[in-house]
Amino acid sequence: MKETANNKDYALLSYHHIPGVHNLEIFERAGGYQTMKECFKKDPEAIKEEVKQSGLRGRGGAGFATGVKWGFFTKDRKAQKYLLCNADESEPGTFKDRFLVEKNPHILIEGMIISAWALATQKGYIYIRGEFYQQAMILEKAIAEAYAKGYLGKNIQGSGFDFDLYVHRGAGAYICGEETGMISSLEGKPGKPKLKPPFPAIKGYRGLPTMVNNVESLAAVPWIMKFGAAAYKQWGTEKSPGTKLFSISGDVNRPGVIEVPLSTTLKDIIEIHCGGMRNGNKLKAVIPGGSSAPIFNAEDSYAVKMDYEDVAARGSMLGSGAIIVLDETRNMGDVLKWTLEFYHHESCGQCTPCREGTGWMEKLFKRRERGTAKKSDIDILDRTASSMRGQTICALADAAAMPTQGMIKVFREELEQYVTTSTRK
Amino acid sequence: MNDKLTNEKFEFSAENMKTYKDLLTRYDDVQSALLPVLHLAQEQNGWLPDHVVEYISNLMKIPSIKIKEVIAFYDMFYDVPVGRNIVHVCTNITCSMFGGREIYQGLLKHFDTGYLTPTRDGRISLQKMECLGACELAPCMRVNNDFVGNVDLTTAIHKLEELP
Ligand SMILES: Cc1cc2nc3c(=O)[nH]c(=O)nc-3n(C[C@H](O)[C@H](O)[C@H](O)COP(=O)(O)O)c2cc1C
Ligand code: SF4
Ligand code: FES
Repeated sequence: MKETANNKDYALLSYHHIPGVHNLEIFERAGGYQTMKECFKKDPEAIKEEVKQSGLRGRGGAGFATGVKWGFFTKDRKAQKYLLCNADESEPGTFKDRFLVEKNPHILIEGMIISAWALATQKGYIYIRGEFYQQAMILEKAIAEAYAKGYLGKNIQGSGFDFDLYVHRGAGAYICGEETGMISSLEGKPGKPKLKPPFPAIKGYRGLPTMVNNVESLAAVPWIMKFGAAAYKQWGTEKSPGTKLFSISGDVNRPGVIEVPLSTTLKDIIEIHCGGMRNGNKLKAVIPGGSSAPIFNAEDSYAVKMDYEDVAARGSMLGSGAIIVLDETRNMGDVLKWTLEFYHHESCGQCTPCREGTGWMEKLFKRRERGTAKKSDIDILDRTASSMRGQTICALADAAAMPTQGMIKVFREELEQYVTTSTRK
Repeated sequence: MNDKLTNEKFEFSAENMKTYKDLLTRYDDVQSALLPVLHLAQEQNGWLPDHVVEYISNLMKIPSIKIKEVIAFYDMFYDVPVGRNIVHVCTNITCSMFGGREIYQGLLKHFDTGYLTPTRDGRISLQKMECLGACELAPCMRVNNDFVGNVDLTTAIHKLEELP
């Protein structure tokens, strides 16, 4: 039997089919918070080890192993430190964290309490993008319910451990999704990234050790602790274990969020989980991991397995798991133009290669609007993108350069034609 | 216009003052509460003119210039007057595929206004935004705090004309 989306046995959306599961009482009746209670009887180090063994990789975009990152965190349980959940979800094409939080805020809260106990963080913040107002309210309400039950606050479950959790709303800036930009923002400043090292795990919010994890990473922790690392590895591959949420949008019949084992083929995702292509049109290209990910042509799209290594081997990245599907009617020039405008708008301006590079790329690509573009502009675009990489405080410059160079590699002719077609009337 | 408004008075309502005090307890320093405090002030006042900034500056003991820097950095804090209803129109990749940009331009034309400029009746400000994190609803907008998806220009206009 073919697996279908939102499988009840999977790690993240296993409660999603239960009506009203955003209420603590219903979540708990379905088995929620049981794992948290068990975890308070466990050695925190054993919890960290289990998460490490599971091979869970950070779901915010970079795919760094969560357990390994936790291993860099100070073991001094008394030292003041923070747990920061990244719910900024601003990578274009991504909406999975919103979906998770809307229907089941408690799975995230349970995951955060377990993680806080393992890491001995006394305070946690869920940094949620300003646009997710209703979702922030859902989290506020769920947190209040958890406080009322004594799952948050002082001496949780008689463990002697205190943990306070708060929602912190952003105010509309993509760059606050980058962990150090997020920390600046939480500190009440413009969300400008800071140079790494030091990494936040060593020196983060207010100069103190801060563990930053994505919503989906933290929400996977209760399942891993309930069923064990070995069970989690039944899905996916050696290097990409577990299940993953994908946000699919664009030219498919049923856009939305699905949970599938890593390494599911993109073909199955499009044809089975998303009901195939809209209007029966032919597939032309797919952006497989958010706007920063280099685009795939149809052939690669139909061949790729959605795990970290296969997507990388084909020259792109799994990123946040945002899949944008484009059919034969789409012009790649438009897609690149929209992408370039976005990065230029969102560059925080601290680094010259990023500020100037994103601006220049956008301007160059829009010369057609004045009728002054040449075919060779595409080469200049390629060189400009190339010169931006690895030169800056944060990875936004790379995130702008990669899809640009990727697009040129796959659709050069179409771009050349696009820029030389004047739009001037 | 700005000059006239700087003479106006602002202070948190009694209820918001309570919320303000509660917000401070959530953080280990005062400045960390700045974003939530600005959200609160903007909810009460609609936008964040100089006299509101001064008030917050005195209240939190943060220099006004630092607060203005923050307001300027974030797209959802307004240092210009805005309409009673804020409408975000997404013009990022997926929404643009389904006409998001044409909808934005069409709305500007219909309401005879520009980016963030309030309509003459003060009812609406339109703001073009990057991906709103709801691409499955493309083309999508946010009307005040709610997502409205799968719109076209006609349904968008209809929806906005209903706003108070
Ligand atoms: C420009 C930029 C934007 C990012 N946006 C997000 C985001 O919206 N959400 C997120 O979880 N991580 C985002 N990240 C990654 C974070 O910096 C960080 O690696 C992540 O939150 C760590 O959590 P994880 O290990 O669970 O993935 C972004 C990174 C960059 C460079
Ligand atoms: S790379 Fe760009 S976004 Fe990142 S810190 Fe530098 S200027 Fe800011
Ligand atoms: S592209 Fe419009 S909501 Fe994501």
